[in-house]
Amino acid sequence: MLTVEHVDKSFPVAHGPGAMLRSLTGQKIPRRQVLFDVNLRVGQGELFGLLGPNGAGKSTLLKLLATLTIADSGRMTIDGIDVQRDPLAAKRRIGLCTSDERSFYFRLSARQNMEFFGALMGLSGKYLRKRIDECIELVDLREYLDQRFGGYSSGMRVRLAVARALLADPAILFLDEPTRAVDPVHAEELRALVRRNLVNGAGKTVILATNLLDEAWELCDRVAVVNHGRIVALGPPKELDVDLGAVLRYRVTLDDVDDDLLTRTRTVPGFRDLRIVRTERGVDLHVEMEARDGSLGALMRAVSWNGSTLRDFRPVEAEPVDVFKKVTLHDDGDR
Amino acid sequence: MTAIADRPVASGLAKLGAIFRRDALVAISYPGNFALSWLAIFVEVVVAWYIAQLIPASPKFGETGAAVSYFQFLAVNSAFVRFQSAALNSFADSIRDAQLTGTLEIVLATPTQLPTLVLSSALWSFTYTSMQTALYLGVAVLFGLNLGHVNLLTAFVFLILTVCAVSPLGVLAAALSMVIKKTGPVEWISTASAQLFGGVYLPLKSLPVALQFLGWLLPITHALNGFRAAVAGVPLSGVAYDAIWLVIASLVLMPFSLWVFAKSVGKARVDGTLSMY
Repeated sequence: MLTVEHVDKSFPVAHGPGAMLRSLTGQKIPRRQVLFDVNLRVGQGELFGLLGPNGAGKSTLLKLLATLTIADSGRMTIDGIDVQRDPLAAKRRIGLCTSDERSFYFRLSARQNMEFFGALMGLSGKYLRKRIDECIELVDLREYLDQRFGGYSSGMRVRLAVARALLADPAILFLDEPTRAVDPVHAEELRALVRRNLVNGAGKTVILATNLLDEAWELCDRVAVVNHGRIVALGPPKELDVDLGAVLRYRVTLDDVDDDLLTRTRTVPGFRDLRIVRTERGVDLHVEMEARDGSLGALMRAVSWNGSTLRDFRPVEAEPVDVFKKVTLHDDGDR
Repeated sequence: MTAIADRPVASGLAKLGAIFRRDALVAISYPGNFALSWLAIFVEVVVAWYIAQLIPASPKFGETGAAVSYFQFLAVNSAFVRFQSAALNSFADSIRDAQLTGTLEIVLATPTQLPTLVLSSALWSFTYTSMQTALYLGVAVLFGLNLGHVNLLTAFVFLILTVCAVSPLGVLAAALSMVIKKTGPVEWISTASAQLFGGVYLPLKSLPVALQFLGWLLPITHALNGFRAAVAGVPLSGVAYDAIWLVIASLVLMPFSLWVFAKSVGKARVDGTLSMY
């Protein structure tokens, strides 16, 4: 079980000797808040996605949980252990795969790297060698194990980082954009590995930070959409779809539009949003409406009232990208 | 998990060994640089020998009142001052390398105590420096350095005390490196001041009193006093003052430097600058 309660985090906007001098002379260094009152509860054996655009705060949240940075306020626990009060005990339960594909010693072979990190994780001897073999096998790097890390491709580096995160057989895995630099075939294998072997097979808890919608939607049991440091949506992907499904979407294709037509469309009962896309065959109106009695008929009348030729009128299903845009754009609009 | 993780001492030693092995493997993975660093020792000894030919022997260069050649004085100092350079550079370099290679965060995410990480980061460096010092002395013997009277006990005790007393300076440099990211000028100033005021090139007695006091404050001054005495065959009791000075410096500076280092890591964690360089 992993919990995050009311966590805020900010970083100073200035670093280095100048900032240090200002700090020593009692001047306050401005800080930029990157996480706002984040609350999460992730159950054992759950594959939990942190989805958000770049800079949303996903990696910061993972670093807080991995004890690499310290929260301004709030509390985080891993299996009941307070991450900030007892970081060593917390670290024994986690495996971290950062999005930094370097993070290894380039002059050493993959085996030497794994032996080094394994020793720091408290493994040794036969057990360490066995774990290296098992983890390397899982990420399909066996034949490259004695090759220097510097000669690895980006995808191989990420796969080795995943193998390293698994070395100590941790109960909780933090994966920060693990498929970012991996080719499609290995990315699919990595996702299958995470879902089939680690979560379904070994019962591990996985926190997956990603900005790939399909990955989060297909893979995760629950997803938290993070934007500007806030969790703006949280739930199983299907439920987020359903939530959005309460909004009806239509694509209306016309020869042309005028202001009157747009005004009529916007005054349809339950109207929520209108997006206009000009195409070779005319104009597409992407209309969002609340599901109310009579709203569909009112929309049809609104778009076919004057001389414009109605070419097409069809409902549009919710896509993950719609959910993502919805929650993140709505959040942007609030600020 | 294997049982070793539950045995802190065994686990700590295994981590120490892993860090030593990593640094040794990285060092020898640059064979050209590795070979040249050994070759450079021959050049250093030859240069010291030529300079020494210009300066007559004097009792000021010795510990026992007898006239001693400048080469004897300079060679012993140059051989052993390497430990200060190793300390000043190795800890900070280790932190900086980890930032550059992106390994620092991963290493800090492992259940390893901070003192284990920081202190063991100089293990290879001190071992390597010991081997280079031995070679330096060996080559210097070919040029006339007299090692016929060495008191091994004094030499060994001062070797340990030197490592313990100069390491905190390196840990402090590493702490600074964690905050300001580059410490080149600090290391340069420390090395230059050690060479000038620590009595590497000139006996401390020949400097003005104020500078003698500055030199007295530096651990390397007392370390070199001890090594020169060991080479001259002086027993440990003959340099007890310097040994006690180094013991006190170690006892005060080591916990202080580790505390400062922990604070600097804490600040980097708060500011999110662990991996910045």
